[in-house]
Amino acid sequence: MFRVRYALQVLVAAASLVVAMDLVKGRGVPGEVQAGALARAALVRLGYEPLGEPTATFEGDQELAWALERARPGPAGVRLARGQGGAVRWRVVFPGGGEAQVTVDGVIWSLRRPVPSAPGPALFPSMARSRVETAVAEAIPDPSAWGLVRAQGWREGGHIWQRGWYVGGAGELPSGWRRELELEMVGSTVVSWRRTVHPLGTDLGVVTGRMAELQLLRRPALLGLGILVIGVFVAAAESVAYRESTAITRGVAYGLVTAVAGSFASDTLVAAPIQGVVAAVVVALLPVWTGLPRTRLRFGPAAGVALAAVTLAGRAYILGAGGWTPVTPPVPGDISPIRLLADSWAPALVEEPLLRGALPALAAPIVGWWGAALLAAPVGVLLHPLPTVPLAASFALELVLQVGLAVVARFAGVGGAVLARGTCEALVRRASYPVGSDWERVALIGVILGAVLLLWPRRRG
Amino acid sequence: MATQARMRLLVGGGASVVLAALALWVPVEPRFPPAWQSPAQAAERAERDLPALGLLWGKVRGWSRVGTGWTVLWQPSHGMWLVSAWVPDGPAEIRWRIDAAPWLPGVRLSRAAAEVLLGPSGGVEQARERLGRRDWQVGESRLLGALPAGGELPSAGLLRRPVVLAVLVGLLLAGAVSRHLVPGVPGRGWRYSVVSVVLLLFATLPELPALAPMTFQPGVRPWVAELAFGTAAVLLLGALMYAGQRFPATAGSSPVALLPLALAVGALAGRFEPAIWLVNVAGLTLRLPVLVGLAVLAGWLAGIAGSGLRELLRFSAFARVVGLSLLGVAGVGFGGAWTGVTLAVVSAAAVERGWGTWMGMGVVWGWFFGSLWVVARWETALWDALVFVLLGCGVVAVAHLAREHRSAKSESPASP
Repeated sequence: MFRVRYALQVLVAAASLVVAMDLVKGRGVPGEVQAGALARAALVRLGYEPLGEPTATFEGDQELAWALERARPGPAGVRLARGQGGAVRWRVVFPGGGEAQVTVDGVIWSLRRPVPSAPGPALFPSMARSRVETAVAEAIPDPSAWGLVRAQGWREGGHIWQRGWYVGGAGELPSGWRRELELEMVGSTVVSWRRTVHPLGTDLGVVTGRMAELQLLRRPALLGLGILVIGVFVAAAESVAYRESTAITRGVAYGLVTAVAGSFASDTLVAAPIQGVVAAVVVALLPVWTGLPRTRLRFGPAAGVALAAVTLAGRAYILGAGGWTPVTPPVPGDISPIRLLADSWAPALVEEPLLRGALPALAAPIVGWWGAALLAAPVGVLLHPLPTVPLAASFALELVLQVGLAVVARFAGVGGAVLARGTCEALVRRASYPVGSDWERVALIGVILGAVLLLWPRRRG
Repeated sequence: MATQARMRLLVGGGASVVLAALALWVPVEPRFPPAWQSPAQAAERAERDLPALGLLWGKVRGWSRVGTGWTVLWQPSHGMWLVSAWVPDGPAEIRWRIDAAPWLPGVRLSRAAAEVLLGPSGGVEQARERLGRRDWQVGESRLLGALPAGGELPSAGLLRRPVVLAVLVGLLLAGAVSRHLVPGVPGRGWRYSVVSVVLLLFATLPELPALAPMTFQPGVRPWVAELAFGTAAVLLLGALMYAGQRFPATAGSSPVALLPLALAVGALAGRFEPAIWLVNVAGLTLRLPVLVGLAVLAGWLAGIAGSGLRELLRFSAFARVVGLSLLGVAGVGFGGAWTGVTLAVVSAAAVERGWGTWMGMGVVWGWFFGSLWVVARWETALWDALVFVLLGCGVVAVAHLAREHRSAKSESPASP
């Protein structure tokens, strides 16, 4: 019996590793390496040879990307967001001067070279125009669709500067959108140009309106957590008065880890130290709540892999059923492995002990464990949903995740739910970060930990 | 025995009427201008007197009392804009404002709205529609529809008392813990009362978002705002229902001799420092059940906080007298809008455990009545305030008689 169980554990570990590898493989933001080469070539075409190896920073316009996807459903919208829509791009900076923005699909979005000491003779506006139009033709795919709408000239630093604004209609973009290009020239040298996109208000509004609605709906969830925290502190006071056995050291350690993770995360429910204190109190009280299921950490990560697969499949299902959900992953404010780690694990460390530990412990005497777990689900649903059309699809998808976590907590305890949630978040959030094995390793930390725990030889009996 | 109980009740009822009349008779300078019209009347007036602005106003979503008028809010079901108007009680000018979703530069104002904004001298010369930006081009300048149109509306001053609030919250937590550490006989009636009023408030939930107009935002559809409010209310009421089971009030007979005093103290506190937010509640159609529900919950919470205060001051009789007196004086002197609550907590702590919740509720009941009497001066609200106070007296009388009847039956010799 023991051997059969161990063999099953080996099987689960192998399956979770394979599925997790499949989920992260090929996902992520591409184009970092190509962006440097493309930027260099574009600067050379402007007559400037950049020196040194460039640094690339990822940046994006979240609302613009999602508005493009919403306005042009399916892969076409995603292509636009990554290409001619200019919503997701790399900023490439050369150490010796010169800077460019290149979309992840390789479209040069903006370019700036250092001002040359001898920029050539100043040109009359009429003569400058043909040179500018040549530069515009290199910058955009359909120059015939663009027209000059405004021009400006001034003298500065002994040279004549000229600036022109071009408007290019909608082009490949959805109907009603507008493309613009701003170009600058010193003497007879083009030194910079920059493209912008003006979305149609209603297309942008569907996305930003949904985001505002979800932000509003997050408030009652935070209120629910606040009420729960009050209950936790009353329970803590009682346990002190009754001199009950608590896990203070474990709680303090957990609280410190939570506070540190929260301080690196981009989005926290409240300030990281407060989160740490609350998590510390909850974990310290866990031994008092004897009715909670026993923790079996080793099954958590495998369950997290399954939940990540369900989440990603759910998004594909919404798109396939004619609804809309963002394909371009949320653009993180900062790109670093520690950010991926913190963004994935901070919600798990804070929310799971509260929703799968404290709430069932406090409410189970009245509504039972499952009743309490189902009470936690709507609170969890409102905390981190993505905008969808219809809005209910987003809640349904989050509800599936929350119910899944409740099931995990029932069979693997609070610790198992924390590992499952962290693993799931890391695998789902992986797509927001650049392609590369470093990022994949960070995303797979939970799965690897789960595999080690599953394969760890245990004593018989 | 029953005759004695009826006599006590009669005396108590008479004392209630006399003290309530005295509390209403004491001359008090009103701290807030009373409302002479309901928010529904204010909304009707605004819809009648203001130009339609060429916009779909949608339904009235909420209101709040600001100064000497009502700020009423309308929003269409698509949620792209909010129309708000401040309607004064008197003949003064109505002030209005339109807020559009920030993502909608395409909220082009109607010609009528643009003309109102530009005044009688300015004419809308050209309606120039650009991609995603439908603005009015007026000579050299452009009128953007997405900008807040109309004037600034008056805003209500903040009535926060953080120290008082912190003390009350601390007492509430102390009371919750003390009810576990020093358990008494839980009052079954109180448990039922809390559950019943929570269910009553659940039933009135569709009306309640009107009390939180800040929930409605431009760009957010009103059903989502109502859902957010409803979810928060369900969570809060659910937590109170749970707490009602876990921290029940101690069983005890109603202090018929003291309740009239509590009612009068509460009514007087309401007249000195009215709970101004109650005027918003008075604007609801279902104001009576909402008032009853809120008063029962507030009274029960005052009872819990009173338990905490009583246990904290239990170590010496002198400390008890000094502590209660100090808190009472501080509540009246610095409590502001929390005066009534502070007095309810002190009253609950000043009596024995079984009477605490009764006393807290008596003061809260009087405070609600006094506040309504001072600030909600339109006819239907005044009648409902009277019904509210009579309902409270009636329920106390029925509870008292039922208890006396039960005790008389239990004391009578068993029939052969």
